Amino acid sequence: MNGFTIATPAQVLAIDVRLPDLDYAAMAPMLVLFGAACLGVLVDAFAPRQSRHTIQFALSFIALTVALLAVIREARVGSRELTADVALAIDGPTLFLQGTLAVLGIVALLLVGERALEKGGPFVSQAAIPVGSEADRRQAREEGATEVFPLTLFALSGMMLFVAANDLLTMFVALEVFSLPLYLLCALARRRRLVSQEAALKYFLLGAFASAFFIFGMALLYGFAGTVSFGGIHDAALLATTSPLLLFTGLAMVAVGLLFKIAAVPFHVWTPDVYQGAPTSVTAFMAACTKVAAFGGLLRVLYVAFDRARWDIEPVIGTIAILTMLVGAILAVTQTDIKRLLAYSSIANAGYLLVGALAFSKEGLSSAMFYLAAYGFTVIAAFAVITLVRDDDGEATHLSRWAGLGREAPLVAGVFTFLMLAFAGIPLTSGFTSKFAVFGAALGVGEAWPVALVIVGVVTSMILAFPYLRVVVMMWLSEPAEQSPTVAIPGAFTSAALMVGVLATLLLGVFPSPVLDLADRAAEFIR
Amino acid sequence: MSTVLAAAGVGAGEAWTFWILGPLAILAALGMVVARNAVHSALWLVLVMLCLGVFYVVQAGPFIGLAQIIVYTGAIMMLFLFVLMLVGRDASDSLIEVLRGQRLAAVALGLGFAGLVGAAFFRALDSRDAIGLAQANAEGNVQGIAASLFTRYVFAFEVTSALLIAAAIGAMILAHVERHKDQKFTQPDLMRARFAPGNYPGPKPGPGVYATSTSVATPGLLPDGRLSDRTISPILPKRELTEAESTPKATEGR
Amino acid sequence: MEPGYYVVLAAVLFTIGAVGVLIRRNAIVLFMCIELMLNAGNLALVTFSRINGTLDGQIMAFFVMVVAAAEVVIGLAIIMSIFRTRRSASVDDANLLKY
Repeated sequence: MNGFTIATPAQVLAIDVRLPDLDYAAMAPMLVLFGAACLGVLVDAFAPRQSRHTIQFALSFIALTVALLAVIREARVGSRELTADVALAIDGPTLFLQGTLAVLGIVALLLVGERALEKGGPFVSQAAIPVGSEADRRQAREEGATEVFPLTLFALSGMMLFVAANDLLTMFVALEVFSLPLYLLCALARRRRLVSQEAALKYFLLGAFASAFFIFGMALLYGFAGTVSFGGIHDAALLATTSPLLLFTGLAMVAVGLLFKIAAVPFHVWTPDVYQGAPTSVTAFMAACTKVAAFGGLLRVLYVAFDRARWDIEPVIGTIAILTMLVGAILAVTQTDIKRLLAYSSIANAGYLLVGALAFSKEGLSSAMFYLAAYGFTVIAAFAVITLVRDDDGEATHLSRWAGLGREAPLVAGVFTFLMLAFAGIPLTSGFTSKFAVFGAALGVGEAWPVALVIVGVVTSMILAFPYLRVVVMMWLSEPAEQSPTVAIPGAFTSAALMVGVLATLLLGVFPSPVLDLADRAAEFIR
Repeated sequence: MSTVLAAAGVGAGEAWTFWILGPLAILAALGMVVARNAVHSALWLVLVMLCLGVFYVVQAGPFIGLAQIIVYTGAIMMLFLFVLMLVGRDASDSLIEVLRGQRLAAVALGLGFAGLVGAAFFRALDSRDAIGLAQANAEGNVQGIAASLFTRYVFAFEVTSALLIAAAIGAMILAHVERHKDQKFTQPDLMRARFAPGNYPGPKPGPGVYATSTSVATPGLLPDGRLSDRTISPILPKRELTEAESTPKATEGR
Repeated sequence: MEPGYYVVLAAVLFTIGAVGVLIRRNAIVLFMCIELMLNAGNLALVTFSRINGTLDGQIMAFFVMVVAAAEVVIGLAIIMSIFRTRRSASVDDANLLKY
């Protein structure tokens, strides 16, 4: 017989092809978002131009709400199962993180859909028109592109899949599903579009570089275990009939791909540029949701697949965590642009999250999940404030422009002060409770590495408080600059997003126990 | 059972293939990295991909091998070449080092990594016997792939559709320009514009053709001897005439 | 010779691609180096497929191809949109974002 002969029908029937069990209820959150995104593409094609924005926003909002309800329903049923063969794991962490993603997605969507601050919204009308051309000046006041809504939904559905993926292949596809729309969204800023395109290029090239590492790592792990499902890798690591070298090299390369997405040092170089260049609403979306998704994936990989290799990976990832905290905190001090400052702060926060993850305990997992939720709300609210401080050229992000903002707009400056204090980890804010939970979980393990990490974490928290407080001091105590920016009156959407973010930051700081309990009950992976 | 399907151990034919195409692939890969011209880089990469396609076929994967050649080399790399041609004259790379020593460091890092990992893999895999795909391919390679793709990997397979839709939207957003209403011209509009006062309705004069130069970048001369900008395409840099070219030549009769 | 040789070849190609990413400046060439890395990953997948005796590796290689195709579309679109304004595809010219 020859390999290229065409099989006769009898041969085809000889293979047993049966669809695996697909639990549609458990997959509903992702499927709803995929469906709504596809519908959004059709809306863009057929709806009249004036009504597109309204329809798209309503569609995305409803889809996210339905997805949230589906997650809640699934959580109430208490499902703990592997579905689609073993490709998806629907368990506590999946549902908690998917719920977090849905809520943060709604809040970020409010910022993406805001059109009161600037005529036409924060996105360019036609990105294909070269910057600075005659046509570009003409489109300056046209309605922004509405394709951003389906792209946002695609990204969110990819993120939800990413936290549920139970094998490396599904995880890789999900990684790309949420990355590609983000690359595009970065390039669509209305103002300073050259910078925005540059951010997209950097994000794209480095992201593709990191995915290449992920793929090679996946290949090596497949070579090691004969399968790429996390359970299979775990079993193979347990038996260890083959050389563990493939396991460790593969793990290292997969980790590069994941650590890139969470912006851990030394894979963080894209973060400040992309955070600064992207439209601020997209930055808020990335800072909150990408972090949740990427950490969800990393936690699953570490806890489910590499539980056995724990002692070997702890020093490496521990070193990365220390570097991440140090570099993030120290470079945040030197920043002069508020978006870059928040970018470095987000790098440092990735370090704190790694501290929780490296506890390798139930408490570590639950505290990291709580941290993700708490940080997400605060960071979205902070970026929402940044969209408000504007001058003729759009947002005024240079720190010197923020001097004396307290006199100009006490309310907005007050809100931002509160958020900065939350980032700095002052008690009665979610920043304090989440850091406390993470460090507490690490100390609870009582081993050398977690304790060392906590010490570095506390020291860098103190360093990091300095840039935050400098912003606060600048807003309230400095003389305003000659041409101080104006604080725009937030539209309904931005106000709502701000309100949710600030309230969540306050409530999670004062009464954290319901969410902490929820995270605690959810903190168990299935294999 | 043919060698294409068995492929557990390595036959002499495969060994020959490997030792010829393997080094060729490495050379082509190096060629891609060092080639100054981006188009040459792309062609080197095509060569690497063709070598890999042969390796896939030899390793009992005829379907993936042909997909590699048809889809990867034929479609994706052609897209690269297409964009390179659009980007055009800027395609060659500067060799100025912006970060001092970065190149050397990168190469040293790469050599170290390749040596370490290559040697380690070699040791790790040397003792391991390949099972071969004879059993998995028993019903045929395509059938075997389909059986897994539409069962175990069906969800990931469906999700790739989201990827393709996102890519299509992306290409459209970043490349498609919608014509504005007042940018659409009808034939009468064009005619009116053509014969409007101040516009020259006839075809433009050709570039200058001289005995010394037939370049389209050479502007033509007006009757009074001045150069005319209208005779050359605006995207071409104007070629200045040398002294020898612009002075009238002596004829024999003088 | 053993099938493991292919994995060594894949590692070498992957490294060449990675070094290329670090030393080249043209965004399109840089992206081609990333494609070389993906191809090296595919070679490793196909080889391990044979070593393990399952077709999963070949299937994953197909997924990598699909993803690469989508990535190429987006990436080249971004590069083109920058080139339209800048008339340059060098990553060194993309230098507006500095602190």
